[in-house]
Amino acid sequence: MIELVLQSLLNGAASGGVYALVALGYTLIFSVLGVINFAQGALFSIGGYFTYLLLGGKIGANGAFPGLALPAGLPFWLALLLAAVASGLVGLLVERLAFAPLRRSGSEPLQALITSLGAGVVLVNLLQILMGAEGYSFPEGALLMAGLPDALVIAGARIRTVQLLLLVVSVVAVVMLTIWLERSRAGKALRAVAEDPTTALYLGIDSGAMVRLAFFLSGAMAGLGGGLIGLSVSLPGPYFGIGYGLKGLAVLVLGGLGSVPGAIAGGLLMGLAEALVPPDASGWRDAMAFTILFAVLLVRPSGLLGSGPIEKV
Amino acid sequence: MIDNGLLVQMLLGALLGLSVYLPLSAGQLSLATPAFYAVGGTLAALLSTRWSALGATAAGSLPPASFLLVLILGGLLAGGLAVVVGQLVLRLRGIYLAISTIALVEIVRVAILNLPFTGGAVGIFSIPQPFSEAGGYLVPALAMLGLTAALCHRLETLPLGRAMGAIREDELAARCMGIDTTRVKLIAFVISAVVAGSTGALAAHFLNTWNARQGSFDVSVTTLAFVILGGSRTWLGPVAGGLLLTALPELLRPVGDVRLVVFGLVILLGPVIFPGGLVTTGLLERLGRSFVPRRHSASEVR
Repeated sequence: MIELVLQSLLNGAASGGVYALVALGYTLIFSVLGVINFAQGALFSIGGYFTYLLLGGKIGANGAFPGLALPAGLPFWLALLLAAVASGLVGLLVERLAFAPLRRSGSEPLQALITSLGAGVVLVNLLQILMGAEGYSFPEGALLMAGLPDALVIAGARIRTVQLLLLVVSVVAVVMLTIWLERSRAGKALRAVAEDPTTALYLGIDSGAMVRLAFFLSGAMAGLGGGLIGLSVSLPGPYFGIGYGLKGLAVLVLGGLGSVPGAIAGGLLMGLAEALVPPDASGWRDAMAFTILFAVLLVRPSGLLGSGPIEKV
Repeated sequence: MIDNGLLVQMLLGALLGLSVYLPLSAGQLSLATPAFYAVGGTLAALLSTRWSALGATAAGSLPPASFLLVLILGGLLAGGLAVVVGQLVLRLRGIYLAISTIALVEIVRVAILNLPFTGGAVGIFSIPQPFSEAGGYLVPALAMLGLTAALCHRLETLPLGRAMGAIREDELAARCMGIDTTRVKLIAFVISAVVAGSTGALAAHFLNTWNARQGSFDVSVTTLAFVILGGSRTWLGPVAGGLLLTALPELLRPVGDVRLVVFGLVILLGPVIFPGGLVTTGLLERLGRSFVPRRHSASEVR
């Protein structure tokens, strides 16, 4: 019994960590530009597929490229890191195509919502053409390559290492990002642009570079999440990131738009709440995140830890 | 290449475009249209297949009067839901409203997928047909589009529509002018839901089968694209956007798998190339369409 409870709590915390990663990706861009990047879910998928390919997985595409794969799979940690970087680069591309033209012409933020959704549709369908609609499981022994056993026994409970890994990696990524934002020169510059672009300009900060940095980091966060989930569950198809993208959005608002601690707390809360749904009602689990969001928004319209915008009169 | 079936789908697309346009013309970015579409469609599918008083025959045909009743009931249920939900979510602004309506769409989708009487992942199938072929649906679809478009057109000169425009330009100023903004926003939201609900009821019969996937986040995306690409300043925009963007993936079918990439590119590049959408007030004036009243923007009034 205790094993079951511990296992489901850990599962919850692990998926909560991933939700927090996705939500932080949104937060980075939202705090700088005040817009939501709806291509985030597609970047999540892309991270999963990159990790799979770098581990030596085969390209499917309905058998168009039989046996095409990397000559040798990379070690897991390297694959995950490179996949995150690659997703970050795709994130930069999304900025260039979907956000930069609109910023130059000074259109309403609503337009960026549509263009980023369009970028997501393009990415997911390109993925579908290249890799096919079928699902993939990560190569056997990907974890062993990382030098980790399949399961650990803690306090008499058997726990899947993957879940623990998910939690640890996402927590480390989130904490590193937070420290970097707080302490480093570039992080401070990024926050300055988020706070007040005009003043940041007078201080000699290149806001364009900061926007690109935010998109790169945000894409990398999503890609990292995709790689981790791919490892823990599998890749069910090119659309699998969209669902995580939506839940990340729920977490983002739950924690309060633009609040980093809010995104982390919201992610963990959401993951744990999902884990508490009894197994025989598991079909309803996907509605959990949105029901909580709905309830919270009605009580606290600015989210759990958000301060809420001051209204201009 | 455009057969009757596609024409009906295009008209349904235009109706959904208007459903997104209505709250947006009061400045409310609601993505809840698929939720109401799904609710209307599910009710219609359930009634037509289970309620014997409607007179569905064993051969699978449905009397036209029953069909009309089901369309109305689908719209009413969606409208009723909108009255409840609207009072809760319309207190939220901007992106918070958009995301909470996405949450509504997801909750409705999961509910339809998991409720014991909606057929699970397979859904409800063999829905009785009021017409013997797809072309028969052209009449009710055209009638519904005509009615909704006429309403939107009338709104542009009615006090309610003026109030909606005022809220869109500046909600605070509108409230100071004595406009009951909460009520106006709720009315726009409810009309939008009724349109989406009836459209769903029509679509369920037209498609002959209905499941939870009909009202997903994807539909939120495409229907919003109808409005943004078509133009959100007059009702002609969402109609044009709905017709064109519904036809596009079908017309692109010959190019195979690439069609959805092209569709994505259109959504990606559209707002860049046509910042105000395809149908703008400027375009209408150039065409001399004097029957479309000119909307005064805030800058002109100042």
